[in-house]
Amino acid sequence: MRVLVVEDDPLVGDGVRRALGGGGFAVDLVASAEAAKSALDTESFDLVIADIGLPRQDGLQLVRSLRSRGQIVPVLMLTARDGLADRVAALDLGADDYLTKPFQVPELLARCRALIRRANSVASARMSFGDLELDTTRKSVTAGGKALELSQREWAVLECLILNAGHIVSKNKLMSAIADWSDDLTLNAVEVYVSRVRAKLGGAATISTVRGMGYRIDEPRK
Amino acid sequence: MKAPSIRKRLLALVLLPAVLIQTAGTLSDYFTALTPYRDAYDQALFDAALAISAHVRADAQGQPALSLPPDAIAILRYDSYDSIFFKVTTATGAFIAGDRDLSELHDVMNNPARGYARYHAEAVRLVTYRAKGTTGILNVSVAETLHKRDRTRSRILWSALAVDICQLSLVLALIWIGVSLALGPLRSVEAQISGRAARDLTPLPRESVPTEIESLVAALNRLFVTVRATSDAQQRFLESAAHQLRTPLTGLQIQLELLTEEPSAAPVRERLALLLEATQRLTHTTQQLLALARSDEAGSLRWEFTQIELSQIVESTVADRISDAIGAGIDIGAETAPGSIQGVRWLLLEALSNLVNNAIAHTPAGGVITVRCGIAAGTGFLEVSDSGIGIPIDEREQVLGRFFRGSNARGAGSGLGLAIVAEVAQLHGASVSIDSGPDGKGTSVRITFQQAARATLS
Repeated sequence: MRVLVVEDDPLVGDGVRRALGGGGFAVDLVASAEAAKSALDTESFDLVIADIGLPRQDGLQLVRSLRSRGQIVPVLMLTARDGLADRVAALDLGADDYLTKPFQVPELLARCRALIRRANSVASARMSFGDLELDTTRKSVTAGGKALELSQREWAVLECLILNAGHIVSKNKLMSAIADWSDDLTLNAVEVYVSRVRAKLGGAATISTVRGMGYRIDEPRK
Repeated sequence: MKAPSIRKRLLALVLLPAVLIQTAGTLSDYFTALTPYRDAYDQALFDAALAISAHVRADAQGQPALSLPPDAIAILRYDSYDSIFFKVTTATGAFIAGDRDLSELHDVMNNPARGYARYHAEAVRLVTYRAKGTTGILNVSVAETLHKRDRTRSRILWSALAVDICQLSLVLALIWIGVSLALGPLRSVEAQISGRAARDLTPLPRESVPTEIESLVAALNRLFVTVRATSDAQQRFLESAAHQLRTPLTGLQIQLELLTEEPSAAPVRERLALLLEATQRLTHTTQQLLALARSDEAGSLRWEFTQIELSQIVESTVADRISDAIGAGIDIGAETAPGSIQGVRWLLLEALSNLVNNAIAHTPAGGVITVRCGIAAGTGFLEVSDSGIGIPIDEREQVLGRFFRGSNARGAGSGLGLAIVAEVAQLHGASVSIDSGPDGKGTSVRITFQQAARATLS
């Protein structure tokens, strides 16, 4: 997993590089949008982490120019401003997610993994989440090497939660992930499937219920 | 002390000259009118004197005598208002006929001579005519009391006064109305200013403004420009301060987090953990001070109010704080009902986020936090209730102030969280109320917007 970090502040840049390195990523650090563009032209990356507040060309301009050149690499924006406008603009311009400074290392790692997982799920059949290994073609899951027996719908719930790890997934979203055209599912049925998956996962991952909003999956705390 | 109104000033300025001019006019009218009427009455006396002089003839002894019969004399003396007197004498002053005590006027310049005199202690008007009769020179004097003259004079005076009082009142009324009409443009400028949004700093139009207040409008427009520039500068400063403070703090925090994890740091791990905690506290306080500064600034005109769906604020806040809540073993949830208000999105997010942070900090593991929004009694509300330790009743007012921390507050808070909530609420014209949570335990903080919320379909 190769990540390009675009951050002009040396302390933050170095921190992010070390944090990601510790999380098993290979990290390249550049300090400007111009340097980032030339790096992306010559090498391929699984993820770009870009600060919005860069000198000369800012992070928003970088995303726009990446997208206009057809580069689909996932982009996580970092912002030190609290104006909502920045975040909305970032997402509108084609960024995939954003984190507001200051953030904590586990949050950063979780967001990065989720972004890469989602991008790769299109191309690759294999996906991992903590100790879980998912095979998207055979729809099979192992936890620490041990196979888990999941029904088709249970598997769809797990896949949907993992692809959106770090975010709350609404019941409606889960419902459309598991419902076939012919199905007439209720929201109550979604709850039933989620609690079955939760039981089968044991300690391999935790699915939290956020009353009134949905569910969120997290890797177990070490 | 308040300056007197323009209307009063104008009236005071105009009143004295107007009264003086009118008085002079009245007097001049009066005296002009006096002469003709006096002459007319005098003419009547002169006619009588002429008639009398024509009837003085020589008697049997050759002495001049009045040959009028008593009836004719009675007619001569008759008048509805006044008593009439006469006296005829010779050029040498010998009495011929009439009222012996009546005085005579001797005026060589004028014939007849006219003037005032007294007769039996009563003021009279007297005309003496020097006539050349058949018996030689005669002095014929006719006098009358002043009753009808006084009457006529006072009539002239009163009618002149009445006309002039009417004129004066009309002038004053015109000033009164005229000032109102003339001040119309000022009032329309005032209406323009008070009619627009408090945050609207666009210049006032100058086309339809009268010349007299154009400079006032221009000065207002200059003030608007200055306020705008100041507010823009402050906005830029705070934005840059936010960036300049947060970036190094983020760096510090990440580096300390990573150092704490490193195996080689084992001997100093405790000290690193203290450093990390202090950094987090510093970060938190910085964040809150910036939020407070920016909401202060928001109070001074900067932010655009937009239509905001309350459920979006709730969901976004819960999503943001979910990691902390799950980490603390707290069951967090949202109960949203449709409803929207006019507001500043990031300020509302900041306020609600502070409430949720407080709830997480003061709710033990296994507790429940519920974030609600909707419409109650026609107005929108945001609410965070928890099953935590609660806030003592007598501290509920104080906790909304800056830097106050409850006696049972936990963690290393800055005492700014609820102050931010209060500030944001005030900016939105909303009120903050603190109650016990469900079942009388914990805390429930509610922001109630005074504006009528609009229910929207989510």
